[in-house]
Amino acid sequence: MTEKKAKKIVDVAKAFVELESIAEWFEKGESDLDVGLKKYERAMELAEVLRERLEQAENKVTEIQKKHSN
Amino acid sequence: MTVFSVTDFIAHINDVLGRSWDAEELCVEGEVSGFRVSQGQWVNFDLKDETGLVNIFMTVWQLHVPVEDGMKVRVFGVPRIYPKFGKFSITANRIELVGEGALKKALAALKAKLELEGLFDPSRKRPLPVFPNRIALIASRESAAYGDFIRIVNERWRGLEIHTYHVKVQGMGAAEDIVQAIQSANTRSAIHRTAMSEDEYDAIVITRGGGSLEELMAFNSEVLVRAIHSSKIPTLVGIGHERDLSLAELAADVRGSTPTDCARRLVPDRNDVLRDLAHHTEKIENQLLQAINSKKDLIERALRSPALWLATERQRLDQLASRAESNMQQWLKALSDKLRNHVRLLASLDPKGVLKRGYAILKSGSQTVTSIAGLSVGQPITIVLRDGEGDARLEKLRQANEAKQQKLL
Repeated sequence: MTEKKAKKIVDVAKAFVELESIAEWFEKGESDLDVGLKKYERAMELAEVLRERLEQAENKVTEIQKKHSN
Repeated sequence: MTVFSVTDFIAHINDVLGRSWDAEELCVEGEVSGFRVSQGQWVNFDLKDETGLVNIFMTVWQLHVPVEDGMKVRVFGVPRIYPKFGKFSITANRIELVGEGALKKALAALKAKLELEGLFDPSRKRPLPVFPNRIALIASRESAAYGDFIRIVNERWRGLEIHTYHVKVQGMGAAEDIVQAIQSANTRSAIHRTAMSEDEYDAIVITRGGGSLEELMAFNSEVLVRAIHSSKIPTLVGIGHERDLSLAELAADVRGSTPTDCARRLVPDRNDVLRDLAHHTEKIENQLLQAINSKKDLIERALRSPALWLATERQRLDQLASRAESNMQQWLKALSDKLRNHVRLLASLDPKGVLKRGYAILKSGSQTVTSIAGLSVGQPITIVLRDGEGDARLEKLRQANEAKQQKLL
């Protein structure tokens, strides 16, 4: 996870989909507490990563130079 | 005086004419008449105005706009006499359409053609990713559209990588410029995709401000429409406040009405997303808490139940004990009643009690005499009474009738 965090870009789409699926799992009212706790932990981790991603300071604008050979 | 052969004369004239203008300098404007294409490669028509006419010749490969009779066009090229027929014409290398009318007509024709080919087919439109990480932005760096787009993206979203491909958005070469940008963005993305570096583009955004139909012609050019159509990366095209949609917009996967709208369609508002996020985590937390509480209840109930059982058992025991006691009391009473009866009965049977009532017991020696049988006159006998006894002798014996009968039997 630390390796992933080091990466600048978090795949927001994937993280969000996973979070939503966890929310759905809980909504179904499954009662396995061990699984629930694991899922909760994962959900909080995802939420943290997503929040961090959304609080990032800037969008990065880079200009791509035209290739003159073409 | 110079005497020319016909061929030399025409060559000389062509040479003079050729040197009179630079290639891009000569432009003749007029109305198209007698437009025809021969052998699928040679284009021939007359360019007219009220009083004049000049023949135009070119190849089909140089003709990039749909031309038909009655259109007003500008022809770029060089004047030349064709030696074989001595026919004067302009050999055109480029034709531009002039005026709204002509442009609109040409546009309608191109639109119909591309539509038939399925380039605007809604069924092949791809959705943009909800959360893009990296995009290619094809726009003019100096345009207001570029500034608006970046500003709105910055307002709404964070952490997006925007690769700007600066292009000309109108005039000569604009369409080709944009096409090249689309192609390099696709190439770049494909390289990253194969390298598994996850650095590919999630979308290509092409935007510019509004303008006249003539200014927007690049966005109606066939090459650009085809480039957008064949882009592997989903496209989002938006041109400022235009009455009619450009063909580029029709071919795009997603269309924005303005550069600002493009930004809104590209990225969600992070405040909405943060709200969603909070909603999700809150829901998850609540559900987990609920799950934990229900387990806790279960445990509490489990812990409580032995005590409860014990209390019930104790109560049952108490009930049993009290029932047993009351039963015992009853039993005892019944027993003592019975005893009392027996005692009374026994008391009534006591011979002493009978003696009290005036009866006597006769004894012969230690034997109680109950019958006259075996008695004889003169026999000594003891009479026991209530308060003592006396000795006597039997004087006479009389047998009762009953005893006589018994004896007879």
